[in-house]
Amino acid sequence: MKAKAIVIAGWLVFSGIVMPAVAAPPAKLALTGARIIPVVGDDIPSGTILIEHGVITAIGEKVSVPYDAMEIDVSGKVLFPGMIDVHSSRGLDVANENFSVSPFLDVYDAIDPSRRFFENALRDGFSAVHVIVGNNCVIGGLSRVVRPIGLTPDEMTFHTPTALKLSVAPKHGWDRMRQMAELRETFLELKDYLGNLAEEKYEKSLEDKDEEIDVGPDEARERGEKLIRPEDYDDKHRNLIKLTRGDLDAFVYCGTASDISRAKTIAEENGFLKHMTLVLGVDCFKAVAELKSLKRPVVLDPQLLYRERDPITGKIRETFVPKVFADARVRFALQPMSSGSLAERYLNYQAARCVRAGVSRKKALRAITINPAKALGLEKRIGSLEVGKVADIVVFSGDPLDFNTWVEKVYIDGIKAYDREEDARLKELLGQERNRLSKSDKGGDENEETEKSESEEPAKAVGNKQEDGTDKKSDDSKSTITTEDQPSD
Amino acid sequence: MNTRSLKRLCAVFVGILGVIGPRSVIANDVIETIVLKAGLIHIGDGSVIENGEVLVAAGRIVAVGHKLDVPQGAKVIEYPNGSITPGLIDANAALESIDMANPAGYRLTASEVAHSVFCKTDHHEPAVGCCGSKCSRAIMHADGKHCKECGFPNKPPDLSLGTRTWHSSSEQSSEVIPETRVLDSVNLRSPDFGRLVGGGVTTVFAAPDSAAVISSQGAILRTAGSFSDRVIREADAVKASMGTDPSWKGNRNRLPFRSFVDFHSRRPTTRMGVTWVFRKSLHDTRRHAQGMGIHGADSPSEPAMDILKGVLDGRTPLRIQARQQNDIAAAIRLAGEFGLSFVLEEATEAHRCIDMLKANSVPVVYGPIYVNAPGYRARSREVSRARLHTMRVLVEAGVEVALTAQELREEDGLARQAMYALRYGVEMADVMKAVTLTPARILGIEDEVGTLEVGKRADLVLWKSGPFAATSEPIVVWSGGEIVVDRRKEKI
Repeated sequence: MKAKAIVIAGWLVFSGIVMPAVAAPPAKLALTGARIIPVVGDDIPSGTILIEHGVITAIGEKVSVPYDAMEIDVSGKVLFPGMIDVHSSRGLDVANENFSVSPFLDVYDAIDPSRRFFENALRDGFSAVHVIVGNNCVIGGLSRVVRPIGLTPDEMTFHTPTALKLSVAPKHGWDRMRQMAELRETFLELKDYLGNLAEEKYEKSLEDKDEEIDVGPDEARERGEKLIRPEDYDDKHRNLIKLTRGDLDAFVYCGTASDISRAKTIAEENGFLKHMTLVLGVDCFKAVAELKSLKRPVVLDPQLLYRERDPITGKIRETFVPKVFADARVRFALQPMSSGSLAERYLNYQAARCVRAGVSRKKALRAITINPAKALGLEKRIGSLEVGKVADIVVFSGDPLDFNTWVEKVYIDGIKAYDREEDARLKELLGQERNRLSKSDKGGDENEETEKSESEEPAKAVGNKQEDGTDKKSDDSKSTITTEDQPSD
Repeated sequence: MNTRSLKRLCAVFVGILGVIGPRSVIANDVIETIVLKAGLIHIGDGSVIENGEVLVAAGRIVAVGHKLDVPQGAKVIEYPNGSITPGLIDANAALESIDMANPAGYRLTASEVAHSVFCKTDHHEPAVGCCGSKCSRAIMHADGKHCKECGFPNKPPDLSLGTRTWHSSSEQSSEVIPETRVLDSVNLRSPDFGRLVGGGVTTVFAAPDSAAVISSQGAILRTAGSFSDRVIREADAVKASMGTDPSWKGNRNRLPFRSFVDFHSRRPTTRMGVTWVFRKSLHDTRRHAQGMGIHGADSPSEPAMDILKGVLDGRTPLRIQARQQNDIAAAIRLAGEFGLSFVLEEATEAHRCIDMLKANSVPVVYGPIYVNAPGYRARSREVSRARLHTMRVLVEAGVEVALTAQELREEDGLARQAMYALRYGVEMADVMKAVTLTPARILGIEDEVGTLEVGKRADLVLWKSGPFAATSEPIVVWSGGEIVVDRRKEKI
């Protein structure tokens, strides 16, 4: 039966339907009795979410659950949209290629599904990760939005191509003049290439008809333009052409405030101003007025506090960056801090910091869910709990802005992808591994190095008697984790 | 009115202001009686008072409870959503040192340099290259993002802020230096104190460095208030270290055979050596106190023995830093040999030797909480078994445990360590005790600070909501009844 499922899954992948790497989902699923924070719309103190075939079909205080739906009682918990890591190169083996202009690259070739990063992302409540080339480039390559679960990049992929990465901030060892010269040169060369291609095409068409060239080069280029088919473009230029024609979004990295006007100029000249999302360095808030005029969501630096020392008075001025954007009513998306302490890697903690600094709760929550979705152009599919959206749901043990809250479960496409009850590594860190062993007499052979993909699926398949009822089984087992939720806020 | 008389009038006004101004400031901040009302008052011993009041007069706590008799003219500060706690106490704070500082204000200690050159496990590979000069590879930032510490490579490193305060003072002249005092290396005007008090920490134990087997004497300091009043105890506990910290710089310890003499030429290179130096110095001190002769080349100096006599008598408290299980065991064994009681520091693997700690009733100053060690610890191999539940296990076992943030500041400071402890399963009452009453007891200053009890010094923190919550921070901090941090105008 399992082999059959794999065959079917393989067939689905090859036929272009992308499926996450989990067992066949229950067709209908109802999560009942939880507080729902849909982010878009008002909170529901106690309600139900109905999921059919991986899509939310009903949400509200009273939802009539179909007789054939699997009902899961999550009372006392909080349902929240799956959080979105809007800009990350940590899923890649190396963040950047060595050469500066590489629009033909695709992160597909570098995503490593076995990275601990993805496992942690799932554990921390992310349902989508935008894997993108790092900032140390001129033109980076294609990005894609992936699920933090799956055995291959294909299984993980949610949306591709998402964006092309560009950087206005200088590559390491360069200055800004050279960076901008390289950018301009790239687009000039593109224009040249298109002209030559058109001319070639026109000449070819004449040759086929055994005619002599009858017009000058400009005219030939104009006539040849219509003869170009999409497959004529070479790999080096294809993505750039898509970008300039508005078929592809751009993620443009700006290191400092002054980079923003340069990014704007380049985008305006080459026709992707409306499809550009700016990834900002920490001091870019100084150009907030200019950013506002772009009317696009911005991606903030993970470091939220900016410190500057006045060289004359010696006074240190601190600015809490998201507050500036919130006050200016610019939509912003937060990023988790990838390294460092135990707290900032949680996107909901980053939001809590915003609330502490005076940003409204609503704006802070939007900045970790719907705003990243908007920046990725996926706001119609993910980023909130609404009817018609993909069922990416985080089950929190309490309020998302409380640091004592844990991610209990993560549903991706309506399928349970993470369960804290089964998280062996977390239990090891929290000293709860003994509880687990005594609970289910499994023998505890899962060692610390067990990767997510192994500990998720096969563990279920081995440990569960009924293969199709994965959700039911784990929900029947009562929580033995003793971590108390202390609403200290 | 002509200009001259106008000028004269102005001068009179300025004069009046000059006389009145400062006095009125003093009157407001110190002498005045204050009543603080908040939704929740944490006493510090684990108990709480809901919707209570604290009455402060002349820098002391006069009354705590409900509906107090408020004297006329008392200033009322009321925050129904806020909460009040005692000023936090960090019993093992590694303070910024004025030694080894460069003119730019960036404190790069020798150990930092060495760490960053040799250590590849930190979040950027050759860390110093990054913040200093040699950084040339973008690949070192594996995530493609800039360095958290300095902003490199997206902006030039800001070396002027000096927010990295790793080691306090690494005295290297000998392995046994209890006669030195950390206070001599501490700059009371350092911005480090501002960072501490901004996070609600009002009292610290200025911890000695771990580079010597028996290191310096720490000091107990207030983080705010007038400079004349900051030092509570000039020379307090002596610190000893087990494990690799006192020996790891001894790689070139080939004296007198191979290498040249510098401060890296340290004597012990192994745990055996460290234990030996510790044992011998106390052994020699005991013989010296009994008027017996001392033998061997490694004897401690006379002034060192004077201090160590105090340690043997129990007059001078002893602290031992140990991370690994075997080092903790060694510390307990050595202390047992000489009948010493001591306070355990760091205790990364305390969760593995709970019974031992309990049986010997060893108080622990635990922290910071981490999985991947921050700062200079990253180079140590003693941190690989760090767990998140260590604090919980210690509390559950009934071990007296205080929490510390050591060199971490700002948001990573003590309040956040408390936040972590809450998340990883410690009850609020125990967490509160671990940052107030217990460290005060360990430092022997519980009569003065540590709880909100009548007669104690008015070191108070008013929090935006609950203490240690992610959405909360200190709004006002009082030290001795004086407002030393006030964020009311900014954020309320």
